[in-house]
Amino acid sequence: MTCRELIDILDDYLDGTLPDDLRTDLESHLADCAPCRAYLATYRKTREIGTAATRVEMPDEMRARLRRFLSDKLRSS
Amino acid sequence: MSSDDRTLLARAAVGDGDALEALMGRYASRIYRLAYGITRSAADAEEVVQDVFLQVVQKGTGFEGRAALGSWIYRITTNVSLNKRRGKRRELETSLDELLPRYRADGHREGDRSFLVSDWSGTPERELLAGESRRILEEAIDRLPDHYRAVLVLKDVEELSNDEVAQIVGDTVAAVKTRLHRARMVLREHLTQQLGARA
Repeated sequence: MTCRELIDILDDYLDGTLPDDLRTDLESHLADCAPCRAYLATYRKTREIGTAATRVEMPDEMRARLRRFLSDKLRSS
Repeated sequence: MSSDDRTLLARAAVGDGDALEALMGRYASRIYRLAYGITRSAADAEEVVQDVFLQVVQKGTGFEGRAALGSWIYRITTNVSLNKRRGKRRELETSLDELLPRYRADGHREGDRSFLVSDWSGTPERELLAGESRRILEEAIDRLPDHYRAVLVLKDVEELSNDEVAQIVGDTVAAVKTRLHRARMVLREHLTQQLGARA
């Protein structure tokens, strides 16, 4: 497996959806390739912190404005 | 759509406050997260939430689709959010190709410049999500194309399957997977450029 082939299937590897033979090839490549190990580690961390950073909550005051907005609109229609 | 959702929509459409509250409890946060994820603006996201919720309440009872109400709402939210972004802040979007790995003809790394290899993954998450690191991360997310952010939020935050995301954004599963992977590679490269030196 080449570096390119490994990076192309990183998501499937991290999702646990790779077929056994591919996973074995990938892990064999990782064992011998420090740059790909660093890539995998930072890619995995990127997924984690990207998810955490985009998990925002709707502010309470915005929820209150939505309630008023909808009540007004429905009353007038 | 479940009979419960259908009942709530019918009651909300005639001004039933309890039904409206129940619908908001189920869907408002999801709409906001997706709208904010795409528009990256609280003000724009609020307008999207109001617009989408009004459409849902006014047109929801006529929605005869076999899909779940949630999927329909995600689809409307994605479209309204992308429309709102049209023409805005395009200058921030990075040329993605510059941030994707490059390889030799044999598929192996093309020397030191093929991709940055500093391993900053040992940095604690709380540290990466605060201060200067957080600013760098937010800026990198801002610079992604809008439709990349849409699939990132649907997949990673809303935890939908690739099939569901593909149906919502109207694309193939393969295209969704490609977009997710490219988005993550670009974010990783941005972060590595900024954080790698500290690792």
